[in-house]
Amino acid sequence: LQQDRTVHCTAEVLHHLGSKSTAPDVQVAVQGELRSTEEADQEFYTRIRSLEKELVAENIPDSHGNVPPELEPIHLLAWAASGYVTWHNSTENTNFHLAQVKHVRQVKRPDEDLQFDYVLLLHEMVSQEVMPWEVTVLWHPRSGVRVPRDRCQPCHALG
Amino acid sequence: QLDLWKPLQPEDIRAGEDLHIRVPAPLVQEVKDSLDQHMMSYRVLIPDVQKLVDQSMPRERSSYRQVSGGYVYTEYHPMEEIYQWMTQIQKNNSELVTQHILGKTFENRTMYYLQIGQPSNKPKKIIWMDCGIHAREWISPAFCQWFVKEILQNYKSDPKIHRFLQNLDLYVLPVLNIDGYIYSWEEDRLWRKNRSPYENGTCYGTDLNRNFNSSWGSVGVSFNCSSDVFCGSGPESEPETRAVAQFIKSKKSDILCYLTIHSYGQLILTPYGSTTEPPSNNEELMQVAKEAAAALTGKHGTSYRVGSTALILYSNSGSSRDWVHMIGIPLSYTFELRDTGAHGFILPANQIQPTCEETM
Repeated sequence: LQQDRTVHCTAEVLHHLGSKSTAPDVQVAVQGELRSTEEADQEFYTRIRSLEKELVAENIPDSHGNVPPELEPIHLLAWAASGYVTWHNSTENTNFHLAQVKHVRQVKRPDEDLQFDYVLLLHEMVSQEVMPWEVTVLWHPRSGVRVPRDRCQPCHALG
Repeated sequence: QLDLWKPLQPEDIRAGEDLHIRVPAPLVQEVKDSLDQHMMSYRVLIPDVQKLVDQSMPRERSSYRQVSGGYVYTEYHPMEEIYQWMTQIQKNNSELVTQHILGKTFENRTMYYLQIGQPSNKPKKIIWMDCGIHAREWISPAFCQWFVKEILQNYKSDPKIHRFLQNLDLYVLPVLNIDGYIYSWEEDRLWRKNRSPYENGTCYGTDLNRNFNSSWGSVGVSFNCSSDVFCGSGPESEPETRAVAQFIKSKKSDILCYLTIHSYGQLILTPYGSTTEPPSNNEELMQVAKEAAAALTGKHGTSYRVGSTALILYSNSGSSRDWVHMIGIPLSYTFELRDTGAHGFILPANQIQPTCEETM
């Protein structure tokens, strides 16, 4: 995303031995400055808030790898959400990547947050399975991404 | 004349309500200045309409003239077009290329391979390359097609390629898992296996790269059809596997090198997947692979890791690469092409060219 500069990120990941239900501890250090996304955030926020009909989309990217520009932020939110899901479901024997956003539906809220209900397809390298994951994502320019709800549906091949 | 998108008619424009217009590119600044002058606030909803149109509309697939004059190698092609392409390639390069039948898929589709090389009276040594054993790895068949095009296009001008085709025959199977590939175009982009039914037709597909007779069923597989690494009902239970295995067995003594192309991961994998015991010629295998990885990185800076599947990826049994090595073919490699997970299986078509260029 940082097309004109390099930012170094290091992370220390500690897996809890014997405890399958706790997510690993992750400490991240960022060297360099992340550029400000305030303007883009505000533009996206205003655009979505002013939609008459709730946003609905599927297959991001499409089969050929394309993402329409106005759906790029939706794609990026999915990435962030898949990071959260991966963090909570990884072990030393799994390797998850977001394969595709199968479906996304905006849910209008009375408060300030934007809400998107996603079905994400996560590819797990060792089992080679592609797992559909229902993820609810809340976002606001000032409060960032939150994932209040997530579940795999169905969940085969998860240890 | 402004292109009104909302409302559609000028007479429906109301003060205080939203107006959406499409502005031709050369007029954008002028329109913005004019709106500013009149103190009208505006917001750009779509910065480039043409780009959006190009990206979201399926391209016209009708015009397909001569190859390689007309064929677009920087796009993904459905199976019908790949069949046509093979016929054209042979037609346009008949002094070097012959198309042969390898066998049939479960759904009874014909598997073809291309034999490329200068004809000779003496038997020639062979390099075999297959693509598309896993349906969703679209960059793989795209690479096989690119590879054939490059070789043929540069045969006359590149002395290395010329000598290559003089001394060796290249056998290229552009799509091994044809049924699966078609299924990934029509039904499920992320399908991996073939399409043979199990459990009374309630479950489909064997992972062809777990179905070969190399420590079959021992590790990194599932015996459950619903798994993406289901190894089938027995070694070589699938017609696609048998077609490849029979052919390779029959030419065993002439095959120097076996290459099988996958994605994603950016890896050059050596035998074995079923054990960490190194193969007898491990040093040679590793050296050749390291040189290949270095040459690859030299092109666009893409880094590839090299090593045995069991050590750098995961354990698995029944892979074609392992089986080929076990029957005595010395150089056997799996290539996992771009990328490392950002796009995964759905690699955008604009990466076909750089991926193929570096892999050449």
